Amino acid sequence: MPSVTAKRPSSAGSGSSTAKDSRQLFARWQKHGDPTAREALVRQYMPLVRSLARRYGRSSEPFEDLLQVASLGLLKALDRYDAERGHPFASFAVPTILGEMRRYFRDSGWAVHVPRGAQERALKVRTAQERLSNEHGRAPTVNQLAEYLEYDTEDVIDALQAVEAYETLSLDAPRPRADGEVVPYGATFGENDARYELVELDATVTAVLKHLPARERLILRMRFVEDLTQTEIAERIGLSQMQVSRLLRRSLEQLRTLAHAG
Amino acid sequence: MASAPNVCLSLSNRPENVLVVRQVLTGVAECLGLNALESNDLNTAVSEACNNVVMHAYDGEEGPMDVRVYALADGVRVVVRDRGRGIGGGEDGEGGGRPGIGMPVIEALTREASFEEPADGGTEVRMEFATPDARPVEPVGGAVPAHAGAGGSAPGRDGDDAGAVALKVAPEAIARAVLPRVLSTLAARAHFSTDRISDVQLVADVLAARSGESIDGSHLGMRVSLAPRSLEVLIGPLHAGRGESLMSAAADGLAPVVERLTDAVRVAPADSGETLELQLVDRRP
Repeated sequence: MPSVTAKRPSSAGSGSSTAKDSRQLFARWQKHGDPTAREALVRQYMPLVRSLARRYGRSSEPFEDLLQVASLGLLKALDRYDAERGHPFASFAVPTILGEMRRYFRDSGWAVHVPRGAQERALKVRTAQERLSNEHGRAPTVNQLAEYLEYDTEDVIDALQAVEAYETLSLDAPRPRADGEVVPYGATFGENDARYELVELDATVTAVLKHLPARERLILRMRFVEDLTQTEIAERIGLSQMQVSRLLRRSLEQLRTLAHAG
Repeated sequence: MASAPNVCLSLSNRPENVLVVRQVLTGVAECLGLNALESNDLNTAVSEACNNVVMHAYDGEEGPMDVRVYALADGVRVVVRDRGRGIGGGEDGEGGGRPGIGMPVIEALTREASFEEPADGGTEVRMEFATPDARPVEPVGGAVPAHAGAGGSAPGRDGDDAGAVALKVAPEAIARAVLPRVLSTLAARAHFSTDRISDVQLVADVLAARSGESIDGSHLGMRVSLAPRSLEVLIGPLHAGRGESLMSAAADGLAPVVERLTDAVRVAPADSGETLELQLVDRRP
């Protein structure tokens, strides 16, 4: 395996004539403090800063704040870069700019909890999903949601997974039905409602199912016995489809755990 | 280095496949309990390596991309491999090499990175990320076959079903985090509605949760082919007789989850055991 570490690709701004221009600009800024030289360098490397902010801070909000942080990284790199060493500026600036963005994220708590942006997006995806479902009478695709919200498809997919994770979004709160009427759970069925007992059960499963709340048993029945779609279930019991999805995943997981424990 | 990778992903270098890689990493990060910062570093650096394969490895042609992920004691290692032209040769840029800021980004975000040209061609980018507080996962033994996934040749090679994605994953804890994400991503690409994607997640949960007792070998193998509003999922190799039990498993007494949520399901004999073949279709009007 021949190593090619010595053959790192040439980076932005190191082309022959630009490189010479840049060297002169660096000399004017670093040796003589000429602010117009610094301004010219900032203009030259702003595309690099934008590109890094986009790559590293994908879908972080607000993007403008992050861009400012990344720009600060560029200014630091402009001060510290040693042109005499012959390394292209970009390869020196990249770690400095990334370092600045990482510090920004660390300071905003990214190292300890789920970024707020991600939570907010999950909530917006859920709301948009309900709105589009109501408008079109069927659940939207990920692309439709992404277009509607102006998000990346990745943000939408993350949000669909995240429904599971963010208890803080109060996903259990009652949802208004299409007709605008809010239906709390208690009004649609009682906790001890025995009408929704599931068919096709053997003894151990019946025991296991009893551990699930009536609402979860009802949803399981609607999906697996009556073969309703999740959207239809959502409509009937006044939840969002994403809430139904989450409850189904959780119930099945509980059933698996209980079945294995028993 | 003796231990087997936790995830082997084989796909073509189509741009949209970078998202599949990112979802795998997000799943692994979630399973290991990495914080958002670590997860972002991991995703950003590996995306750079993959984007390089997308843009530069095959001179605009389609070709295979392999990604392996290892959960180490105090870090995560990711190896991105292509079979295209090496990083040293080529015509772009003066002095050869792949252009762009990918390599400096990778170097800045990793504990260790290397860019090599293996003797049998292509480029291999190895990246190691420090994750001191990661939750440990069960070590994975056993060798992993030359390419990932159940049956068929590896995607992206010789144009054979280039759109397919093949995956091998172990242990169960990582499979549970990765499978739903990968299948959701592919279902989204196949224009499934969110309603049906939720069903796909349920199926993925079942497969991952029940894989431990059913698979023949250390890793759960999966191969997914896409068509508009349709996913074909191959799971295997499984122990003889296990395909049936996977199929009817799941809701434990309810109409079996996998059977109810899929449009076609078939157990096919394969080598010493069998594979489970599922078809998921979105039939909305």
